[in-house]
Amino acid sequence: MSKPKKSYMDKVHIWGKIWSFTALAVFLMLPVSISAYNNAWPAASVVFSALKSIILIYWTSSIVEVITYTPMLGAGGTYLGFVTGNITNLKLPCSLTAMENAKVKANSEEGEVISTIAIGVSSIVTTVIIAAGVLLLSPVLPKLNSSTVFKAAFDQVLPALFGALGASYLKKHWRIAILPVVVGCVVLLFSPEMGVGTLIFITIVTSVLGAFAMFKLNWIK
Amino acid sequence: MDFKENAFMYILAFVVIGFVVAESVFFIVKAWKRAKELGIKKETLTQTVTSSALFTIAPAIAIFATVIILASSLGIVLPWIRLSVVGNLAYETVAAQTALDALGGSIATEITDPVQFSAVVWVMTIGVAFGIFLVPFLCKKILNKVGKVVHKNEKASRLGDIISAAAFIGIIAAFIAREINGKSPANSKIVDNAGFLSIATLITSVILTLVLETLAKKFNWSKFEPFVMPISMFGAMGVAVLLTKTLPADIVQWTWWS
Repeated sequence: MSKPKKSYMDKVHIWGKIWSFTALAVFLMLPVSISAYNNAWPAASVVFSALKSIILIYWTSSIVEVITYTPMLGAGGTYLGFVTGNITNLKLPCSLTAMENAKVKANSEEGEVISTIAIGVSSIVTTVIIAAGVLLLSPVLPKLNSSTVFKAAFDQVLPALFGALGASYLKKHWRIAILPVVVGCVVLLFSPEMGVGTLIFITIVTSVLGAFAMFKLNWIK
Repeated sequence: MDFKENAFMYILAFVVIGFVVAESVFFIVKAWKRAKELGIKKETLTQTVTSSALFTIAPAIAIFATVIILASSLGIVLPWIRLSVVGNLAYETVAAQTALDALGGSIATEITDPVQFSAVVWVMTIGVAFGIFLVPFLCKKILNKVGKVVHKNEKASRLGDIISAAAFIGIIAAFIAREINGKSPANSKIVDNAGFLSIATLITSVILTLVLETLAKKFNWSKFEPFVMPISMFGAMGVAVLLTKTLPADIVQWTWWS
């Protein structure tokens, strides 16, 4: 008896696992080859002592990120997004905007393919822009870095990005949005230096619990 | 030649970045074929490509700006590799800084010791690798569970949509709150305390998006819709530049925490 044909989603998971484990090997090759080439191996104790604080923050937030972003990004988008990085500030907004423009839902196969294409394109464009910047602008970098126009514009990229992104979401879901924004601001009043990684966790929990309560109370449908 | 920017480092950069581009192309091709089978119009797919590319430009330039900031201590190649894969703006800066703190160095000064440099690379890589490691184990399980819940009945499906929107709104809310009254950590190399300019940019961006969205709907400019967000972003950044150039410095540079 022949095996049943694998669905597209099953195949995505197989491809994703292969690419992710290969990516891990390629990325770990980086410190190994740099240490070997320069014959400069740092003491394990030094690396571990630096890793202690980073692991506590980033490995915990990795778990939260995988659980939170996977349903929004879809399978292909998740495998690709976690290898190519910059999820919160670029890939996730890009994927959600593409799905919104194409009028498809995140939990459908149509959403899956649109999200994958959006994240793939975004990764390539990011890579090209950074590579072009490094290779072409290296000689003028110090000048560019101190240019007031360049600095003023790109210091404000996050409010510009999240203002534009927030506008359409806040307009559509204003009842859900008020609570997490207010809670975020109040938390920052007491703990202004809190990293966005921790703050996101608080605002997501607030937003989801608030939305759930409003749904149960029939305030939103 | 500086060990941070020698030919070997550039070869490593091309290998790692080539890998990321290859994976992206692979998934785009597979998704494109599947989209055709699903009957998604070619016009929708090309619009997805155009709008995603446009959407990416400004954040990618901001990521490049971080490469420049980190380049003063780590050389240009390592930040280039790190910010093209896995990492993100905030993580890479904090990871490099934490590693150098532990080694008795500082991100404000150039690393001249290859052992110290290697240690930073080890810390930055291992610290961020966990996400990629987790995804193959959790992705299918999470999606199956979410799929089962949202496909149970119409009410569950609606709740699924609302929770999914709420989770994303939670992310946006954190960044919006950060731009309204956040503060950079005391030892951060990038100082971006919230204040006049961040709030003005945020409000401009919101207004531009709402106005352009309304115009696009009113005049039925469906082809213009994907451009609304990138135009609003660049517009708001343009206003930030204009305010910086025209208003007195003490107003423009005013922050809650200065």
